[in-house]
Amino acid sequence: MSTATIETSDEFVPATPSELSRFVAECSEQQLPMSPIGGRTSLNYGFPLDRDCQRVSTAKLTDVVDYPSRDMTITVEAGIRMDDLAHTLGTENQRLPVDIAQSHRATLGGAIATNTSGPRRFSCGTLRDYVIGISAVDAYGRLFSAGGRVVKNVAGYDLCKLLVGSLGTLAIITQVTLKLRPRAETSALVWQTFASYEDIDQLLGELLTSEARPTAVEVVDPRAAALIASEARVDLPIDRPVLCLGVEGTEREIQWQSQKLKHESESFKPIEVIELAGESADPLWQVLTEFETSSDEPLTFKANLPPSQTIEFCQTATTAGIAIQAHAANGIVIGHLPDDVSSIEQAAKTIDPLRQIARIGRGNLTILQCEAAWKEILPVFGDPEPSWPLMRKLKAQLDPHHLLNPGQFIHGAVADTAPAAS
Amino acid sequence: MSIVIQHELIDRFRQVVGDDGLLHDPEELFVYECDGYVVEKKVPDVVLFPTSTEQIVRIVKLCNEFDVPFVPRGAGTSLAGGCLAVGGGVMIALTRMNQILEVNRRDRYAIVEPGLVNVHLTQRLKGTGYHYAPDPSSQGACTIGGNVATNSGGPHTLKYGVTVNHVLGMEVVMPDGSVVELGGPAEDSPGYDLTGLFVGHEGTFGIVTKVIVRITRDPAAYRTMLGVFETVADATQSISNIIGAGIVPAALEMMDQGIIEALEAAFQFGFPLDAGAVLLIEVDGLDVSVEDEARQIVELCERAGAREVRRADSDQERQLLWKCRKQAFGAIGRLSPSYCTQDGVVPRTKLPEILEFITESGARHDIRIVNVFHAGDGNIHPILLFDERDAEQIERVMKASDEILDKCLQLGGSVTGEHGIGVEKINFMDKLFQPNDLDVMASVRTAFNPDGRCSPHKMLPTAGACGMESIERSHPGKQAAS
Repeated sequence: MSTATIETSDEFVPATPSELSRFVAECSEQQLPMSPIGGRTSLNYGFPLDRDCQRVSTAKLTDVVDYPSRDMTITVEAGIRMDDLAHTLGTENQRLPVDIAQSHRATLGGAIATNTSGPRRFSCGTLRDYVIGISAVDAYGRLFSAGGRVVKNVAGYDLCKLLVGSLGTLAIITQVTLKLRPRAETSALVWQTFASYEDIDQLLGELLTSEARPTAVEVVDPRAAALIASEARVDLPIDRPVLCLGVEGTEREIQWQSQKLKHESESFKPIEVIELAGESADPLWQVLTEFETSSDEPLTFKANLPPSQTIEFCQTATTAGIAIQAHAANGIVIGHLPDDVSSIEQAAKTIDPLRQIARIGRGNLTILQCEAAWKEILPVFGDPEPSWPLMRKLKAQLDPHHLLNPGQFIHGAVADTAPAAS
Repeated sequence: MSIVIQHELIDRFRQVVGDDGLLHDPEELFVYECDGYVVEKKVPDVVLFPTSTEQIVRIVKLCNEFDVPFVPRGAGTSLAGGCLAVGGGVMIALTRMNQILEVNRRDRYAIVEPGLVNVHLTQRLKGTGYHYAPDPSSQGACTIGGNVATNSGGPHTLKYGVTVNHVLGMEVVMPDGSVVELGGPAEDSPGYDLTGLFVGHEGTFGIVTKVIVRITRDPAAYRTMLGVFETVADATQSISNIIGAGIVPAALEMMDQGIIEALEAAFQFGFPLDAGAVLLIEVDGLDVSVEDEARQIVELCERAGAREVRRADSDQERQLLWKCRKQAFGAIGRLSPSYCTQDGVVPRTKLPEILEFITESGARHDIRIVNVFHAGDGNIHPILLFDERDAEQIERVMKASDEILDKCLQLGGSVTGEHGIGVEKINFMDKLFQPNDLDVMASVRTAFNPDGRCSPHKMLPTAGACGMESIERSHPGKQAAS
């Protein structure tokens, strides 16, 4: 297998969706594989491409097509940078409340293709909850749309959901309509260290019926805590497992909720408690969002588990020297393997027991980044899921010649049907 | 009848579901000739009542072996003909698969069978601090499997989202009889979001046999208000004011004068009969903030010219108000022998335009139309009143309905917000979508349901199957499928 190595200058950068559509149709006719490019923040996601690809960039598709702010929706082209989108929405005091790392570079299309999320997913959900309309170019070059521009709409199949997290393997996203939310007036983060993970686990159980409604429920181990505190340039206690609770709302709601959460935590004997409110919380929110990309460690994974198994997972990961951040109430754990893991065997040995814990609760473990060579052995998308054969059928229907990001997703699918990898 | 069900097949079905799990007598089948959309009717050839996934697998395999189509049905509350057995064939009624299999509060999910009545889940969750958020007005009857098929909404979807935002996974019997699990109790299962894609499939991808749903924390506090307005325009201005102020109420429902009259006759709530429109507004959230929000809403309504804004202060009053809203369709019996409701959506700022158009259209076709709808979402439900026995009236109802939906499209909206395409709106699909869009949707359908045996002639204008091109038309000018 060889990794595609096409220079930036070889990229095709269409100025309009119809230009993109024509170009893809031509490539399709010649059976020339293609790889969509957004902000280049996740190019190593998934398996390495198994053929050289024509890169297709959405860099010029950045228009705001329609922003009827009173309807709380916006239609934009998919190449818009997340920061630019946030700026536009900020002028109307609105937001897309999904945390996207490297938002100065990441594009909306890329964020959708990789289904990126962050700490706010506990109360705000993920991109699937906000994409209400989508246009994209399929592997034949057909420009198609689904959904619409209204917040409630069940006409036709929900291809928006299909394209969220599709890794550019089904279509190249060109335009998106989003449902929006009002921007929160202010926020706070309550950072608490505990003697043990058990204390945090019990507290998480109690928080299920908290009087407060936290926006984010983050658990980090001391290694991750050190990284986060240093990146955020905040003096935080980092020598014990941390539970960091985020709240958003009006000034009054924030104060009331922080008090309430601190009070509810008391019986679990937090060792140190730091509260950051208003602007002083912003850098910490930011770093909690960036954690998954902030490392040059040998391997980064994302585990998905039932929330009740998250702490057991974190404990095992911490023992293995992994720096972890968990969106604990969602059962999502990001882990960076330590530097001393230098071989594929060591990596496999480190993550295998973790994957097993995840599998018990019908979760899984996906590798977000590691050396390309390791991906030939390691299960990048985790253990096979029962629905994968169906996904392969769908891929075969929409992209039978594997022209879009060939080989990037569930490798077996490609091996089954595509020409042998070079 | 275009499908001839052989006696041998009936016998084989009987071996699967037993004598009491099968209806075959024409008189008994009559009940299943339509759902909540009464304009078109078609009797299935046989109705089966399986009690397990395994029985459904055997039924589906028999349908394949004998080359007959099949269609799933929940409670039959679809308002768009979603469970109409177009062309006959086998109807698989899921009402006997109605168990709650697991409630896991720690991981905030429940696993239910598809025939479970929506409200039964929330009733079961009472006292846990959690509930199941999607609350269609028919929640006392409709099933969660049906909700998944149509991606149902409800009054509280303004804040909490529709069914798809609350489904984590499902078990499906595919049209070839294989069983597949999609998603699961853990979020973000690696791979394509087939769970999200399958919600709203209107029965065309397979038969959902288990659903894993997210349960939602109860709000700490509510404030429920009734804004009384002289005109529909004042009421819609209030909606715009509220949303513009950055408040997302839990629900924002409008009822016009016509429906108020029927509701008052039915429930004696004390609705003002001379008001042009009322808004039912609910905010929920933290104890510390709902009162502020409620006060702000009262001000905003008054600024838009509200005659008064009443507060439903006791839980009893609140329940009654919601009962009135949710049973509004039931109260229509007082106004007319039959009705047909549309489900168009417009950007919420276009509500005044569409409501004015509805009034004009009703006058033009001499059809009385009343309105009760999810105003906050821009999801209108004009209710067209008619007498089913009068073919000419039906003709006019159809014309007015089509005009209203065309207008929704013209205003940048959609023809269905929560009821689905079914058979009723299938002729709108090529107005709403371009040929490419429909081609891609057809490809998706082909991946799961290659010969179209499962729920033929639903959702897509080209979704025929099994040599069933000639379908009896119940009413001229309105096609059950093209």
